[in-house]
This record gives sequence, C-alpha cells and structure tokens, in this order.
Amino acid sequence: MSERNSSMPIALDRRNLDTWQDPKATPYVRIERVSKRFGEHHAVEDLSLDIFKGEFFSLLGSSGCGKSTLLRMLAGLEYPTTGRIYIDGVDVTDVPPYSRPVNMMFQSYALFPHMTVAQNIEFGLKQERLGRGERAERVDEMLELLRIAELRRRKPEQLSGGQRQRVALARSLAKHPKLLLLDEPLGALDKRLRENTQFELVNLQERLGITFITVTHDQEEAMTMSTRIAVMDAGQIMQVDTPTAIYEYPSCRFVAEFIGSINQFEGKVVESDGDQLLIETRLGRPMRVRNFHPLALGTPVTVAVRPEKMRLCLDYREDGVNQLRGVVEDIAYLGDVSIYRLRVEGQRVEMTLTNTQPRTEQVLTWDQEVAIEWSPTSAVVLTE
Amino acid sequence: MRRRRWPLLSLLAFGYAFLYVPILLLIVYSFNESRLVTVWSGFSIKWYRELLHNQQLLEAAWLSVRIAAVNATLAVVLGTLAANALVRHGRFRGRNAFELLLTAPLVMPDVIIGLSMLLLFVAMQHGLGWPDGRGFTTIAIAHITFSTAYVAVVVRTRLAQMDASLEEAAMDLGARPLTVYLRITLPLIAPALLSGWLLAFTLSLDDLVIASFVSGPGSTTLPMVVYSSVRMGVSPQINALATLIVAVVTLAVIIAGVTSLHGPRAARRRR
Repeated sequence: MSERNSSMPIALDRRNLDTWQDPKATPYVRIERVSKRFGEHHAVEDLSLDIFKGEFFSLLGSSGCGKSTLLRMLAGLEYPTTGRIYIDGVDVTDVPPYSRPVNMMFQSYALFPHMTVAQNIEFGLKQERLGRGERAERVDEMLELLRIAELRRRKPEQLSGGQRQRVALARSLAKHPKLLLLDEPLGALDKRLRENTQFELVNLQERLGITFITVTHDQEEAMTMSTRIAVMDAGQIMQVDTPTAIYEYPSCRFVAEFIGSINQFEGKVVESDGDQLLIETRLGRPMRVRNFHPLALGTPVTVAVRPEKMRLCLDYREDGVNQLRGVVEDIAYLGDVSIYRLRVEGQRVEMTLTNTQPRTEQVLTWDQEVAIEWSPTSAVVLTE
Repeated sequence: MRRRRWPLLSLLAFGYAFLYVPILLLIVYSFNESRLVTVWSGFSIKWYRELLHNQQLLEAAWLSVRIAAVNATLAVVLGTLAANALVRHGRFRGRNAFELLLTAPLVMPDVIIGLSMLLLFVAMQHGLGWPDGRGFTTIAIAHITFSTAYVAVVVRTRLAQMDASLEEAAMDLGARPLTVYLRITLPLIAPALLSGWLLAFTLSLDDLVIASFVSGPGSTTLPMVVYSSVRMGVSPQINALATLIVAVVTLAVIIAGVTSLHGPRAARRRR
C-alpha cells in the first residue's frame, strides 16, 4: 500500500474515468434483463445495466423502487426470477453470496455484537483461510486505513454511529474486494458527519481503485459522490447518466422532479430551427429552448427550468421570449439563497436567487410584481 | 405534588409475601427440631442428616435430576431446530399447522399427555418390543415432548429479535451456512438456549402427573416420592429436601442472571 503512504494529491477530477463512454470497454458488472418478483409484487422489472471498473455508481430512488433488491441480487442475497448477472465476465446469477468476489456494507452495518472490532474485521479473512500473520497484517492495514486503530478492542455497542460506519467499511474492505456494494452507507449518520464522510468515501474509492455501487435515496449524496447515477422508479431505471447530466438534462419528468425542484411549462412545438425549438406554452408566452433532437411541429412537450436558472428581468417586453411576469407569493430565506414563489397567471413558479445583499437590503418583497427570464440554453424540453 | 408512596409499597410487599412467604416458611421449618411439621420446637439440622441416609429419597432425586438433564438437553436441540424452521425459513407449506402443533402441548392438560403417552408406550412395546417396560426412557421421552414446545417458544422469540442481516453479512464475508450458524447465530441466541435449558430442566423436575402415568416399577421420581409421603403425613425431611432444591434453583437463576449481564444491554449500561 505504498500509494496510500505517499503524499501525492488525490485526483478528484473524474474526467479520465469516463469508461462508460468508451465503446470498446467491457463492463465490469453486467445486469442483463433481470426481474425479481416477490409473489405478486414486482420489485425489479426487466432491468439491464452496465457498470464499469472504477466507477462510483449510485442507484437512486425512493423507498420501494427496487434499488435495494437490485443490490442484494448483486451480493447474492436474493436470486433473480429471470435474467442474468455477470461480474468481471463471469455469470454469477446462481452463485451463493459466500462464493462471490463481492462484499457489501449493510445499512444497519450488521456488526457482529459478540466480537470486537478487530475480530469483526478478521471474520472474512478467517473464512478465506489466511494464515494468522497475514490476517493480523490485514486487520492492522484496515484499522489504519480508516483511522480506527484505537477502537480495535471495543465491542460494537461501545461505538458511536460514525465509528460503527467505519468499522463496517473496514470489514467489507478487508478481503480486498474488486466490487463493494454499499446499502445507504451514510443513512444512519447525522448531517454534518454525513457531509464529511461523503468526501472521505470518494477519496477511499479512488485510492483503492475499487468499483463502488451504492444505494441511496438522498439525491444530494448521489450527486456529490457518484461517477454515474441510475434513477430508479417502480423496479425500472428511468435514466442513467453522470450527476451533471441527470441534473441539467433529465430525460423525463420523473427524473426532473425527483432531483431538485424544477418549473414545468406545458406547451407544443411551433417552430424548429437548427438546434432551437420555439414552444407555445399554455401561459400564452413563447419559449425558446436549445434542443439537439429535432421534434415534429405540434409535439406536446414540457419546458423545464430549474429555479436557480431564473434571473430578474430588467427589459421586460409583452412579447418577450423566455420572460414571465408574476407576483411574489412566498419567500423562503435559507441564508445563502432565498427561494421565491411567484404566481404567474395561475401557475406557481419557483426562483432561487443568491443573497448577495443582507436580507434587510433585498429589493424583492411579498406581493411585489416582478419580471423574470432565463436563457434558451438553461431550459430543457421533456417529451415524457 | 408529592406522591404518597406507601400504598404502592404495601401492594408490592403484599405481592412478594403472597409469592414467597410459603417458601420462606418451608425453609424455616426445615430447621425445626420437632417431628411435627407445623409445631416449632427449636433449631436443628437433624432432618438434613436424616435426609442423607434416606436411600429411597436420594435415589428418586438422582433419577429426577438425570431425567431433567437429558430432557433439557434434547428439548433444547429439538426446540432450537423447530424455532429455526419457523423464523428463518419463510412461509413454507404447512407452516401454520407446524406452528400450531408445536405449541399445542403448552395448553394440553398434563393428564391427557400422560395418558396418551402411556397408551403409545404400551402399544409400542407390543408392536416393536421397545421401550422394554417403563422407566427412565419413557419418562424422559414424555418430558421431551412438552419441554420442546417451551424451548421452541423461548428460542424463537430470540431468533426473531436477531437482526437477520448479521447472518447475511457473515455469508457475504465468505462464511458457509454451517459456519454462519455456529459462529454467528448460536453465540447470539446462546442466552435463550440457556434459559430454555433451565426452563425444561425445571419443568421436568417438578412434573408429577405425566411421570406418574409413564413411570414403571423402580423408577419413582422425586415429586412422586414427595407426593406419596405427604399422603402418609409430611416428614420434615421433605422440608429439608425442598430447601435444598430451592437453593439449587436460586443458584441456577443467579447464574442465568449473571450470564445475561454479560449481554449487550449490560455492556451499554456499564459504559
């Protein structure tokens, strides 16, 4: 572990990790048309997904969307009803959990209460029938990696939540798996600890070069940590892409609404000109949106604009494109930003502005009439 | 407002008295010098000395302890297997029937268990030639049938409380199912196994009805001896013997308590 000891800065730039864009790359994990049924309930429905080596991949969705079931199928704790799962080119669909080259960190951490921290970490190594010396070495390495050496003789119930999380991580990493599955890895931590741990987890993953697949319902967590995110709903994948693309270019209304908040204006295409669409909305205002996929005239679409893409409009015109005028109904002051809820011709529009001035100096107030606008490149067109 | 405590305290005292004064009385009278059990005439340990020479009573006690130990051990094995099937194997076919039939002996009158067992053993002896007569084996088998139900209930509760992801985590770390059971499940349900064992031991030790049905000549258990001697007038020796049993049981309860003090909850308290 010489890399660990060197003081080389850790590369946080993930650009050279975009293996999923390389058409020649073979996926490390391949999920092929997998379905899982529990009686009448379809937990996962005909789902296919490729995950590549070195990725920090997140399955994101609300509870009951099938993300945990998918993760458990990768661990071998559930078996698919139909479909195949390949890890590193090997069909593991019917391989029991104890024979898979995969380790998992459980949401409850599942630390063995009758063993000390060191014994917990050593458990997997014992199953591998490693010699005593090698086991001790590996335990020390893990304790040091997660900076928990002073906890080695403690029992799980003598640890805080954050310490338990580290021990669970150490235990799942002890066998040097090539693929680590994490079920809500930060779910049980309080907010502050969670934020610190996010970065630490990413650093660890990049340093060790292990492929991580995590399950989370926390969109912020998925955004910060992942190379790619799969947004899931009702046992299916709605969109797989980088955090940026998921946020900026959601492929459907579900994803747009699930991640962050977004304003939606329904309308239809009236003009398609190069990479720009002109859309006539129900509000009666034309909107111009950059779009790379040509759409037939008359196609019903939704124009979606994130609240922070809105800005105050200084030259409002009655026929202005991407301009709206409304009345401030609600203001939520969050410190760094404020969220303004406007009523625009019966529709509610949300706008986020950075608080560049102290609150007392702000110009916008309740019941004030205000004009807003956004640029054509800041909006997206959704057809589903 | 200051709550008055004496009404509650006196209720508590009454409750304790109701439960323990008879036993206390028994212990006191075991040191009574008089031959008449209910008349106090002075302190003496002569009944204990006499007890040591009462061959019949000692043999019965030894037989009862042996039966109780065999019964408890086998009941723990069977009860644990049954509890595992109920808790860990989902909704298998016939699960409801299994659950019902397993716990039925808990509510079945002893007389019926005893009588049916006797009929079975007689029929088996005619048909199979085994068991050859009635005695240790038949009493032990009869006790195991109902003790298993008690153990199953105790172990099942503990198993159900245990986080199933612990077993999954062990498997994920490479442990095969047998290793998972021996290294993770068993140590974690051990307190339940111990209390199940003690429960089965006690149930067997004080059973009179069932044992009376299925015992044979020469295999008289302690409760049977006590019961028949009481009918002929209580000898203070019985008091002495009962006191010794209470002492042993108290010791067992203390041991069980100390063992469970080393469980997770106690460690949290110590911290």
